[in-house]
Amino acid sequence: MFGGRLTHSMIERHAMLLLLLALLTVSIGGIIEIVPLFTIETTVEHVQGVRPYTPLELAGRNIYVREGCYLCHSQQIRSLRDEVERYGHYSLAAESMYDHPFQWGSKRIGPDLARVGGKYSNDWHYAHLQNPQALVPESLMPRYEFLASTYIDANTIADHLRTNRMVGVPYSDEEIAAAQDDLLAQSTPGADTTALLKRYPKANMVPGAAGRPTELDALIAYLQVLGTMVNFADTSTETLKQ
Amino acid sequence: MASPVMVNGVYPPVEYNEEVVRKFMIAAMFWAVIAFTVGVYLALELSWPEFNLGYSFTNFGRLRPVHTSAAIFAFGGSVLFGTAMHVVQRTCRARLFGGRVLADFIFWGYQFFIVMAALSYVMGFSKSREYAEPEWHIDLWLTLVWVLFAVVFVGTLMKRREPHIYVANWFYLAFILTVAMLHIVNNLAVPVSFYGSKSYSLFSGVQDAMIQWWYGHNAVGFFLTAGFLGMMYYFIPKAADRPIYSYRLSIVHFWSLIFLYIWAGPHHLLYTSLPDWTQTLGTAFSVMLWMPSWGGMINGLMTLSGAWDKLRTNPGLRFSVTAVGFYGMATFEGPVMSIASVNSLSHYTDWGIGHVHSGSLGWVAFISFGAMYYLIPVLWKRPEMYSVKLIAWHYWIATLGIVLYITSMWVAGIMEGLMWRAYDSYGFLQYSFVESVIAAHPFFVIRMGGGVCFLTGALMMAFNMFMTIRGPKPASISMPHGYALAGE
Amino acid sequence: MNNETADRIVSWMMIPLGLLGLLIWARALDAEMYVFGLSLTLFSTAFGFAQIKRHYDDADLAGAHAAAHRGGQPRG
Repeated sequence: MFGGRLTHSMIERHAMLLLLLALLTVSIGGIIEIVPLFTIETTVEHVQGVRPYTPLELAGRNIYVREGCYLCHSQQIRSLRDEVERYGHYSLAAESMYDHPFQWGSKRIGPDLARVGGKYSNDWHYAHLQNPQALVPESLMPRYEFLASTYIDANTIADHLRTNRMVGVPYSDEEIAAAQDDLLAQSTPGADTTALLKRYPKANMVPGAAGRPTELDALIAYLQVLGTMVNFADTSTETLKQ
Repeated sequence: MASPVMVNGVYPPVEYNEEVVRKFMIAAMFWAVIAFTVGVYLALELSWPEFNLGYSFTNFGRLRPVHTSAAIFAFGGSVLFGTAMHVVQRTCRARLFGGRVLADFIFWGYQFFIVMAALSYVMGFSKSREYAEPEWHIDLWLTLVWVLFAVVFVGTLMKRREPHIYVANWFYLAFILTVAMLHIVNNLAVPVSFYGSKSYSLFSGVQDAMIQWWYGHNAVGFFLTAGFLGMMYYFIPKAADRPIYSYRLSIVHFWSLIFLYIWAGPHHLLYTSLPDWTQTLGTAFSVMLWMPSWGGMINGLMTLSGAWDKLRTNPGLRFSVTAVGFYGMATFEGPVMSIASVNSLSHYTDWGIGHVHSGSLGWVAFISFGAMYYLIPVLWKRPEMYSVKLIAWHYWIATLGIVLYITSMWVAGIMEGLMWRAYDSYGFLQYSFVESVIAAHPFFVIRMGGGVCFLTGALMMAFNMFMTIRGPKPASISMPHGYALAGE
Repeated sequence: MNNETADRIVSWMMIPLGLLGLLIWARALDAEMYVFGLSLTLFSTAFGFAQIKRHYDDADLAGAHAAAHRGGQPRG
């Protein structure tokens, strides 16, 4: 190595040399695999429809993250025949591009949730989350009744949108300013949702108690949007190429 | 480098800091029991979901990170910190760099990290990054403790009195450096407020997934492998009273292992939205990784040549050697599972859980038990463990536990994979998801039985350790506590 | 760097850490931060006091040893 001048015996005798060479050795793989994912333009497909989460969906997503739902539910449909037939179109990178953090998961103790949005009614979700065994007797899922009696703090939601913008989610000033109103509009039956739906198409209304959405409301708003943003009729094999 | 003064042609004996090592051993034993208990409880929840009890803090989603963190970071970490500090002092013939208070701070600071992390999970705060769940402020605390640990370790290497750095220390060094790198990059996040726990990952989607599994797989590669290989390279030669089989093989083992491991992360993301080129690289390097892994296994096992009879009389060594066997098995299974066609079946199933546990119970826990059974009498100056027979009992009941665990998870995992992809004669998917859940139930119960066996073994060990420490101490000069004369 | 200096630096570090804990405790926005701040303060205080106690215990013990070597009576 290096003209026969660097012997292993030398490395073993110099702690700093050993340290630097080891650090160099372990850096290579990560750099080669990670950096191009930020620079290769096609890593995230160019598809229409993927938008940042509504304030209520984001709050619901935080419940999903905090409760560790990813430990039993993946959000990543692999490009395999049976998965596509069971769960829907295979997941695109674009569909999680605003997910900080990603929630693809690694284990399915329950089914994949990448396209659970719209598959069941709101009522089904309310009943199922509070007592899964009442609807699916063999289910291993814990009961999440407690989410129905804890409330979302609407006052701080704008800060959450702002932090998301800092890490790259394109929330506009207008969206941040309207965050609290949007959160309440999405969870108040009969509220005027025109502005909300203009900002966030396909947002699902949930029947929260007026002006005071629970964590359960938020979680269901999030679940109902999962996998519904992309209109696959507009895509082609060409646009989905990475 | 400090140069100690020679007296009559010899160096004065070194006062090793053994107090901190003793503390880490006690902590390791404590956390082992906690980790295994929580594990058994989770297995109970997966067998009968009523055991979730309906409280937020007893739910599977909040308790699972408690189990994994307690097993990996609390138990595994305490063993790693303790043995690293022991091995680096002995093989460098130098007292721990930085003094007693710093070592003490590293011990208590690390325990503080563990307790804070566990509390945050049950209170409902998690970044939901697998094996990196603690929120940003707890991550910063760990970074502080970790950097200080690195300073102490490297500082001790620098002031050594031996010309060469012993091979075990290469592995410990790679473990410390790489885990620092992984921890810092993977946990980059922006908190919503300095006074609030919630933060958002700096990365998103596909890049976030790649970074997380670059971290996750190398938490296995460097925390649970490189560090424990350091243990193998010190404690097996010590207990067997034989030198390492091949010095040259150690060199090849070390550099190829640390170079290849870091590439293997994408095998957790096959067939996902990660670009194909990254998936292919991950698979290729995972398969290549088989070679250095088995090179290391051969180096460990062949060290026993000529001393195999010791396995009959030294059940502690039996743990270490069986660990290397399990290491070989798990590092063969891993590359197989990284091959795309196998992964399409095994991913998302309990096969993965079984694979992880053949590594963590068979390799990590067994090599730790072996090292601890060797170290406890050394650290507390006892002729031997309180009961050698009890070690043998621990060995057999723990082995039985592992066998039950991994065989039940193999069957459950392969069955789940096959059921999910089964088609009936009309071309429809044959099973609904919940049918695979029902079919796995008996195997989940067997798995719990395996966990109970493993926990029972650990309780025997804790009792044995307690009685050894409490037992009579041979007459010796009284010293200020925490100091021991070099005896190597 | 000799060991006494390192011992002092680490021990004095407990003061800023404890104060940081107090600050977090006082201004915490959620239960977890509250517990973390409180625990950090308790940790730093306990660790600091343990080092002080340990320092004097060791000094006493060393004094006793020196006295024993001189053939005298241990202090205290």
